[in-house]
Amino acid sequence: MAIYNLDSLLDKYSGEFLILEFNHLFISSSIREEVWLLQRKNDSALIDKILQAAREFNIHEVSNDRDFETYSGGQKAILGCLLTLALIGDRKIHGLKLLLNNILDSVSEENRSKLVQKFEEIRPTHNIRLFTEKDGHIQEIFLGNGNPQG
Amino acid sequence: MEIHKGKYRLENRNLNFEIVDDLNFNNSGCCFYFRGGNGFGKTSFLEKIIIPALKADNLPYLYIGQDIRTQLYTLRALLSIQGFKVSDTDEVELLRLWINRGQSASVLILDEFDKYFPDYGFIFDWSDAFIRTYIIVTHLGINRCEAVAKNYRICNLRFELINIDGRLKNIRVRNE
Repeated sequence: MAIYNLDSLLDKYSGEFLILEFNHLFISSSIREEVWLLQRKNDSALIDKILQAAREFNIHEVSNDRDFETYSGGQKAILGCLLTLALIGDRKIHGLKLLLNNILDSVSEENRSKLVQKFEEIRPTHNIRLFTEKDGHIQEIFLGNGNPQG
Repeated sequence: MEIHKGKYRLENRNLNFEIVDDLNFNNSGCCFYFRGGNGFGKTSFLEKIIIPALKADNLPYLYIGQDIRTQLYTLRALLSIQGFKVSDTDEVELLRLWINRGQSASVLILDEFDKYFPDYGFIFDWSDAFIRTYIIVTHLGINRCEAVAKNYRICNLRFELINIDGRLKNIRVRNE
C-alpha cells in the first residue's frame, strides 16, 4: 500500500528527500501564486518556462492564473513536477534526492516516460536522483534509460 | 443504466465527448477499465455523465474518488455515525466495513485506487456477491491479473484526444 498520510510520509522520509506527494502538491491555487511564494517575486520567466513545458504534455489550456483544482489529477501531478524542475534549474540546485509519492502512477504511460525524460535531461548538470516508495521500501528510478522502475 | 452513443458536451469543463458505442452499466457483468491520457476527461465523464445517470435511474453505487485521504476521513466519519468504533481501524478494514454496509449498490467505481492499493483484488472479493458492474479508472498495466474482477467480462474504454478547438477538447470514447 502506498503512503497517502502526510505525517507518516514526512516522519519517514523528509530528512533525506524532497517529497512530491500527489495529495499535497501545492500550497496555493495557481502557478502564478506558487511561483510568487517560492521565488518571492512575480517571476514571469520561470512561469513561462513552466507553461511552455506543460504544453509539451498536451496541457494546452494551462495558464498562470488557472485554479489548480480545475486541472485533472494527472495534470496536477505533471505541473508539480514541472514546477520542481524549473526551480532546480533556476536555483542551480545540485544533488537533490526527490521522492515522487503517488506521482508517476497518476499519469499516463506516455507522460510518465516524458516526465522521467525531463529529469534525465537535468541529471548530468544537477546530479538529481529520483525515488518512489512502495510497500514501505524506497526504490530508485534509474535515470538514463527513460524507464521508471516500480 | 445505459449511456447511448453520441455526442455529450461538458461546457464548464471544456470537454466534448464522442461516444462511439452504447455503454450499458446496469447489471452488465462487466469490469470497465477507463484508460487514456491526462486531462482527457475520464473523471469528468464519471462525475458528470455516469453518476448523474445512475442517480436518475435510482441505481445505488459506491464510489471511491482520487483523493484517498479525504475519502478515508469521510468513511471513518460515516462509519462512526453508524455506530462503528473505527478510531483505530486501519484503512483496509475501513473499506471492508464500508463495502459490507453498501450491499444495496450494484455499481462500484474506483478512480485510480490502484495507485494506493496496487493489489486491490480484495475489493472484488468483498463485493462481487452484489456488484454487477465495476468501473475503474487506471493508468497502470493492462494485464495485471490481481486487478481484475473474477468472472467479470473486461471492457476497456479508451479516451482519445481527437483535437482541441480553442479551449475545447474533443474526446473520443470507444471500446478497445
